[in-house]
Amino acid sequence: MRYGDFTPFDIVLLLQGLGVSLALFVSTTLIGLVIGTAWAVIRFYRVPVLAQIVAFIAELLKNSPVLVQLFLVFFGLPAFLKINVTPTEAAVITLSGNSAAFIYVIAVSAIESVGRDQIEAARVFGLTRWQILRRVIAPQAAAFAIGPLTGLLVNQLQVTSLISVIGVMDLTKVGNILNLRTLKPFIVWTAVGALYYLTAKLVAYAGGRFEKRLRAHTAWRGL
Amino acid sequence: MISVSGVRKSFGAATVLNGVDLEIRQGEVVSVLGSSGSGKSTLIRCINGLEKIDAGKITVDNFDVSKPRELSEARKRSGTVFQLFNLYPHMTAVQNVALAPVEVLKVPRKQAEAEARELLKSVGLSDRADAYPSQLSGGQRQRVGICRALAMKPSYLLLDEVTSALDPEMTSEVLSILAKLAKGGTTMVFVTHEIEFARSISTRIAFLDKGTLIADLPTEEFFSDKGMALPRVAQFLSKMRKD
Ligand SMILES: Nc1ncnc2c1ncn2[C@@H]1O[C@H](COP(=O)(O)OP(=O)(O)OP(=O)(O)O)[C@@H](O)[C@H]1O
Ligand SMILES: [Mg+2]
Repeated sequence: MRYGDFTPFDIVLLLQGLGVSLALFVSTTLIGLVIGTAWAVIRFYRVPVLAQIVAFIAELLKNSPVLVQLFLVFFGLPAFLKINVTPTEAAVITLSGNSAAFIYVIAVSAIESVGRDQIEAARVFGLTRWQILRRVIAPQAAAFAIGPLTGLLVNQLQVTSLISVIGVMDLTKVGNILNLRTLKPFIVWTAVGALYYLTAKLVAYAGGRFEKRLRAHTAWRGL
Repeated sequence: MISVSGVRKSFGAATVLNGVDLEIRQGEVVSVLGSSGSGKSTLIRCINGLEKIDAGKITVDNFDVSKPRELSEARKRSGTVFQLFNLYPHMTAVQNVALAPVEVLKVPRKQAEAEARELLKSVGLSDRADAYPSQLSGGQRQRVGICRALAMKPSYLLLDEVTSALDPEMTSEVLSILAKLAKGGTTMVFVTHEIEFARSISTRIAFLDKGTLIADLPTEEFFSDKGMALPRVAQFLSKMRKD
């Protein structure tokens, strides 16, 4: 067997890379969901100062390339603030922030899609802000958001491939290494692409299932 | 008692309530009449605390609605029925009715839902109890709206044109329920354009004209020479009767 040949172990390598990509995707999505939703709630209640800060940060994150943000975190933080970050930390910070900014946008429009009149009704019957948020706004906003959110997540999964440039051993990085060793780019990148494709399909499928559930229980079908 | 005294409310430069005094005692049914834009809805929204008043005072059983600490007590004592129903679309009829008792009065869910079903049955909706608002007719939705208000066992019902979004058949469906409530002694503040119905169920009629209460009379007197002596009232009634 020559150095340039594929070995069964390469499949393990690819799957390990996929595992790293997925772990990053899931963790940064969860962090992004928490932060993005919290930002949207801050904005909904027009919390003074905080609401402006949140809107400003989200604007910055949405309108600059993820790669630039990644470099800023990975090279910028150590240089300016003397904080050392590992590639994984830099990846988690950057991708979480990026997801948060886009989830914020979706969550804001989802919350705003809930009719004011029902919120007034809930207030009149004495529900607290928190109860209204939980019982009236959240279920309807979730049903509204799940479609766009699935679309966003499929995209964010692909975006994780950018972190390979700072040395995180994700699926793309593994592909790169295999490619350099075997010099068979067509086969390597087809395999890598197929793995991303299948994972993305899985995310879309899960989103679709979830959407059906949320909407069935709301019996709210939009237009 | 609901007490409204010297209440003023403006939106920007427009004065909508210009020093309104009104008292509603337990057992009364007070209809509030007046032409479009006279401030009837605004008055209701001030009583249930959806709008802040600029001057004057509103109390519900002595709880001042302008004080955040007392507003929640005031709100427990009055129930509002809305013109456009304002139901929660993601909840069934039963869930709509049971939400506030569970969340605000801390009634156990099972019990609250059983009571909700009883209420829905009393307005002829026992077979629609598990339907979502989008699956109900307008009249059925408004009956759910009434049940939702009654579920809080309020001392006062505030109703703002609760039939104006309904066709005549659905209107009579809803009005007959209100008539039954009135007979049963439910205290109501009833904003309406249904003059004849107001006449049949009200103990008193209040007439708003451009933010001023120009008449507040027992029903008999309002519809007699005494009411007719007021030019704005006479004009309003003759116009309404023509329509
Ligand atoms: N949120 C608001 N902002 C600005 N103006 C308002 C607002 N709410 C009501 N108004 C104005 O206040 C006036 C009184 O409105 P209101 O809804 O109380 O009248 P109404 O007597 O209920 O009329 P209708 O019979 O048509 O329901 C109107 O001129 C209306 O345009
Ligand atoms: Mg009105």
